Amino acid sequence: MALEVVIVGLNHHTAPVAVREKLSVGNGSVDSALAGLLDPPRVREVVLLSTCNRVEVVACCDSDANAGDYLADRLVEVGGIDRHAVEGSLFALRGRDAVRHVFRVASSLDSMVVGEPQILGQLKQQFEVASAADAVGPVLHRVFHKSFSAAKRVRSETGVAARAVSVASVAADLARQIFEALGERTMLLIGAGEIGEAAAAHFVAAGVGSVMVTNRTFESAVELARRFRGTPVPFERMSMYLPLADLVVGSAGGGQLIDSAEARRVMRERKNRPVFFIDLAVPRNFDAEINEIDNAYLYDIDDLSNVADENLGERRREAVRGEAIVEQEVDRFWQWFERLELEPAIVELREFADRVRLEELEKTLPRLAAVDEADRARIESMSRAIVNKLLHRPTTRLRQPRDANEEVSLVAAMRELFGLRGED
Amino acid sequence: MERQLLLGTMLAYAAAAWFFGKHVARTDDSSARRGKMSLALGFSAHSLSILVHLAAVGLLPVTSFSDGLSFFAWLIVGSFLVVGRGGRLSAIGVVVGPLAAIMVAGAVVFFGESAPIPPELRSPWLPIHVTLAFLGNAVFGIAFAVSLIYLFQEGRLKSRRGAWLLRRLPSLEQLDRLNYRCLVWGFPLLSLGIITGGIWAANTWGHFWSGEAREVLSLLTWVIYAGLLQFRLTGGLRGRRAATLTIVGFTLVVVSYVSISLFNLPGRHGHVLGS
Repeated sequence: MALEVVIVGLNHHTAPVAVREKLSVGNGSVDSALAGLLDPPRVREVVLLSTCNRVEVVACCDSDANAGDYLADRLVEVGGIDRHAVEGSLFALRGRDAVRHVFRVASSLDSMVVGEPQILGQLKQQFEVASAADAVGPVLHRVFHKSFSAAKRVRSETGVAARAVSVASVAADLARQIFEALGERTMLLIGAGEIGEAAAAHFVAAGVGSVMVTNRTFESAVELARRFRGTPVPFERMSMYLPLADLVVGSAGGGQLIDSAEARRVMRERKNRPVFFIDLAVPRNFDAEINEIDNAYLYDIDDLSNVADENLGERRREAVRGEAIVEQEVDRFWQWFERLELEPAIVELREFADRVRLEELEKTLPRLAAVDEADRARIESMSRAIVNKLLHRPTTRLRQPRDANEEVSLVAAMRELFGLRGED
Repeated sequence: MERQLLLGTMLAYAAAAWFFGKHVARTDDSSARRGKMSLALGFSAHSLSILVHLAAVGLLPVTSFSDGLSFFAWLIVGSFLVVGRGGRLSAIGVVVGPLAAIMVAGAVVFFGESAPIPPELRSPWLPIHVTLAFLGNAVFGIAFAVSLIYLFQEGRLKSRRGAWLLRRLPSLEQLDRLNYRCLVWGFPLLSLGIITGGIWAANTWGHFWSGEAREVLSLLTWVIYAGLLQFRLTGGLRGRRAATLTIVGFTLVVVSYVSISLFNLPGRHGHVLGS
């Protein structure tokens, strides 16, 4: 008998959202779900991963027991749905494949948008929840901690997360290539519509220092400016305020608002300090010629989506290198895991002792003349007590090694002394 | 011994160049650390080679083409180690690394015994003049590296091919600011270098200016940098144009140093002093 890492669940590769949403485990019920999934000695450790893209149980199980099926049943039960509603969507992985899966999920290689940064935080949080509920033992503890460091390596050694893949984040990313600190920069938002608002929200989140909003209807500008603690600017005064803005976002209807002559005047007034024009409007608000002016950078909506597409392709290429790093880390984990024979060795010792006990009972009991059922039970329980007491100290000591080296040598010594060959 | 040290230095700088290249091209942050370590290691060997020279000859290694090249590279790498510590600025190593490796390689190839110094040039002014002028030009060397990166990155931003942007490079604003800071430090150093040279010449030969090629070219460089500083301060000169001018100025520095030494133009700045 030995330990094994098993994963059962469903995710965006195996199930459409219509199925995934049925089997989501809310935050409040995670503790009871974990308790429902644990079943020692068959299922010893459990972590539940639940995001909008996946519901997966990571478990450390007895490799002899058919834990996969059991976990699938309990997962469905805990999720409160019918098993055949998710039949065909459930997948199961075991051994190295299961470990690799956790590492890939942590490294965001298994995400819908490869390289998205949220998954690692979610994983850490759900691991903490399982730890707090005492559902985590030495194996999953190591699986998860090693997956976090694999994720860190993938993030820092490859460009898998380096590039923005949405229009707004591409714009913010480009702004960071032009300006050093967005916190000292001012943005002028032209047009208070939905697109403009979303872009402004993104830039504010990215740390832009101050916001000005202008709109044909001044009231909307005031309203939106208030939301971002910015300044409303009357539409007809826009050209006065333009030179103050480092980022100019166009999202107004009605076509061109700034031509290249106006942009040149702005650049002169700014003594050529750079300006980033972001044209999200269709038809476009800014003259395409503006990009020809020194220190002025103009991207329209098509330029931004082209960059986003290119970046997504680049992320996929980088992901290939991420996979290689994951494989290295899985190798390292596996070396440790293979040496992890403590628990099976203890079980073997117990089985050996129990075999001896039963043999001796069988030899002795028939020879005793007058024993009734009650005496038999007493003798049997005495034999169990002797075995337990004899084994208590050595097993306790085996479970508290000073370090990994001592663990290995203690296990070896025990096998040697009791003649256990370590067969599974 | 000195030559072996220079050979080691060259290899370390080449390794640094490779690591910085990997850092920038493949957005690999651990390579940046390795690059900085290789550069620091090379710089230590380099410093040792200069000490060895100082102990053997009793002069800074500035009296032959190869010595000067090595000393100049040493000052550039030293300036970079001071300037390029923080964050994304270390990516400038992608230019400084190869530049230093090539210069030290040149020093190794042209390595030879330093010729004896004619007695009239044995003066306390020698290390002062040469160090100031070299340090000024080394700082401009950093400005040159910064400007190359600026032009590269600016071109990519303008072309709107986002995937070709190298994200580990500093922002345009930071590059431009560093370029300006180099100018502010390099210009007074170069000026002092020229002035001390003049004072030394006046003390030794009785005239401040002799009109030899090195002096003329230095003055031309000085005028370019002076103009750059002037228009930066008052005329809103920045960005691409400032970067281009910086590159022109430094190219002039390199061309004048190499051509005077290799073509043996007449004058006291020749490749072997006094020959």
